[in-house]
Amino acid sequence: CKYLCFPSVNLYYFNNEKSLKKFPLTIKVWSSFCSHIKLVDSHYCPSCLENMPSAEAKLKKNRCANCFDCPGCMHTLSTRATSISTQLPDDPAKTTMKKAYYLACGFCRWTSRDVGMADKSVASGGWQEPENPHTQRMNKLIEYYQQLAQKEKVERDRKKLARRRNYMPLAFSQHTIHVVVTCFLPFFLVTTLQQRLLQPDFQPVCASQLYPRHKHLLIKRSLRCRKCEHNLSKPEFNPTSIKFKIQLVAVNYIPEVRIMSIPNLRYMKESQVLLTLTNPVENLTHVTLLDTAKVGAFCLSLSDPHFPWTFRKANKVGIFIKVTPQREEGEVTVCFKMKHDFKNLAAPIRPIEESDQGTEVIWLTQHVELSLGPLLP
Amino acid sequence: MPLYEGLGSGGEKTAVVIDLGEAFTKCGFAGETGPRCIIPSVIKRAGMPKPVRVVQYNINTEELYSYLKEFIHILYFRHLLVNPRDRRVVIIESVLCPSHFRETLTRVLFKYFEVPVFISNNRYRESGCIASKLETQLLEQCTVDTSAAKEQSSLCSIVINYDLKRGLKIQAAKFNIDGNNERPSPPPNVDYPLDGEKILHVLGSIRFSCGNSFEQDNEEKSVATLILDSLIQCPIDTRKQLAENLVVVGGTSMLPGFLHRLLAEIRYLVEKPKYKKVLGTKTFRIHTPPAKANCVAWLGGAIFGALQDILGSRSVSKEYYNQTGRIPDWCSLNNPPLEMMFDVGKTQPPLMKRAFSTEK
Repeated sequence: CKYLCFPSVNLYYFNNEKSLKKFPLTIKVWSSFCSHIKLVDSHYCPSCLENMPSAEAKLKKNRCANCFDCPGCMHTLSTRATSISTQLPDDPAKTTMKKAYYLACGFCRWTSRDVGMADKSVASGGWQEPENPHTQRMNKLIEYYQQLAQKEKVERDRKKLARRRNYMPLAFSQHTIHVVVTCFLPFFLVTTLQQRLLQPDFQPVCASQLYPRHKHLLIKRSLRCRKCEHNLSKPEFNPTSIKFKIQLVAVNYIPEVRIMSIPNLRYMKESQVLLTLTNPVENLTHVTLLDTAKVGAFCLSLSDPHFPWTFRKANKVGIFIKVTPQREEGEVTVCFKMKHDFKNLAAPIRPIEESDQGTEVIWLTQHVELSLGPLLP
Repeated sequence: MPLYEGLGSGGEKTAVVIDLGEAFTKCGFAGETGPRCIIPSVIKRAGMPKPVRVVQYNINTEELYSYLKEFIHILYFRHLLVNPRDRRVVIIESVLCPSHFRETLTRVLFKYFEVPVFISNNRYRESGCIASKLETQLLEQCTVDTSAAKEQSSLCSIVINYDLKRGLKIQAAKFNIDGNNERPSPPPNVDYPLDGEKILHVLGSIRFSCGNSFEQDNEEKSVATLILDSLIQCPIDTRKQLAENLVVVGGTSMLPGFLHRLLAEIRYLVEKPKYKKVLGTKTFRIHTPPAKANCVAWLGGAIFGALQDILGSRSVSKEYYNQTGRIPDWCSLNNPPLEMMFDVGKTQPPLMKRAFSTEK
């Protein structure tokens, strides 16, 4: 049968008793409890799609070893090669062609030569990020404070109050009297704030100081239930794969309510809306629709609690509901509860000797809110 | 590689250090030389045309909670790429940060992200209103070229943000280097490309007058008077040392010429009778920290967060928070018993206060 697609969204409420959280059906993750924890699963580079173990990611500060970002427009840099003729070491008269590599941006035309980086003789591995000039001083400072911290710890262990002590003067910082820069650079040679902030250690003002950085990695996340600690969603380890190892998504277990046709809705006029219910699981599911107390401002009472089905096809059932808008204008929203039985196939199977019941059947109730669109005058 | 990374891998994991500024957030790991990212403190929501500022002190708790939750989620899962549950968090906050904001942030971290431990560090907050003054001036006086015709720059409210500060090179020196009191000539006009077609013409005089936001306002208060007034409030014997060890932090102070202007203004004000009688000293020196001024506060937190020995005793654990439901403020002086493994009191001030300098 033909499916009419409406822009209205079906929303399910989660965990009705405790909190009303709406999730669009397609991205809801099923769990008997509402909140879930997100965990970092695997690191990978978005450009070369190479997986990186977390220890290495930590060492490389979450940056890819091979790929670079353009410091101007943040696009991925590509390595280009030119051939240059160089003199042979043995015989200065003869020349040979050698390859020289440089980085270039396909989008904004920036090249590594713009900042004075020399061409490298190897395609990858030759490019280095500059080091922070303050590293030495920083390390000394940390050492100094570590000493203070140790002293404090020792005193604390002795259960005495921390005494004030004379701090030794250390040749750490320098004073500078700043001189005003009176020369004004042409505008296009000054870096934008965004370009500057991408390099927190240097934040260069001049575009000629903008060096490329290694590309930042992305992660794949897995979700776990906060209460029962079950894994809800676990993606494949391979960065190129979009599949999931574990994927417990509501749409695979809970019957789906879709709107099939909406007649013209008018104030205080009863009209029939055609809905379909789709059963995603292989076993027979019993569904009961119950009226619910008014939740939103436009909720309306369903006039007939027993909804006759109109058609049935495979795992889909069509039902009519009678809708009477209670307000003169605005969006019409229908709320009801859907009670369905659910076989928990994920639960451990009991040994057959103990009981003959098979898997458990529990009844779940979902809040459904359907947005039927605006009222006609 | 930071020196103590090795120790961190053997024992505790390195702490996460977050500085939530009104304009930008600096975020990274303890013991490193700089933050991993500096991003605007905003989140983008589907329904709203403009990004939403996260650090707002006047919105209700629920909204703030959801903004903070989303923002911190981005920090952890896009920039830091670590699990929030595994690491301690050092938060750098302004001394004047309202309790409501602080408590909501704590709740987000402990309840939603389940961080194990939370430490807060204090920094002094710069005034953030300068940029809005710049905006209004630009809107009034600059014109925009589009391909069709010249339009008034009501259009540029889309674009104008702190980005303009960088190129505008606001001339902050009211006082000439030579010492005479002439106003220096204004900087040249600038053509700022907005996007493919539009060009914003910024008059040189606008660039110049933005610096005047730092001048004394109607009540004769400015950054310079702030410093001098604070000095007067300090005990007499400390004033000279404090005056010679000024630390200026914050992104606003990175305007070219800002520090020079500040010093010049201080020197000018010190001659006035109001200050001359009271302040004994006339030498003022500003430190050069080992990082850009917008990261210095973050750096203080990062160094503090690297001190594994005392970090445990100076922090609030998740268990303590779940028991008591509160997080002590920096100004609360009660000392709970040692069994709590927690010490309330003034947190360590950032690095500069203890570092003395020698003349070169």
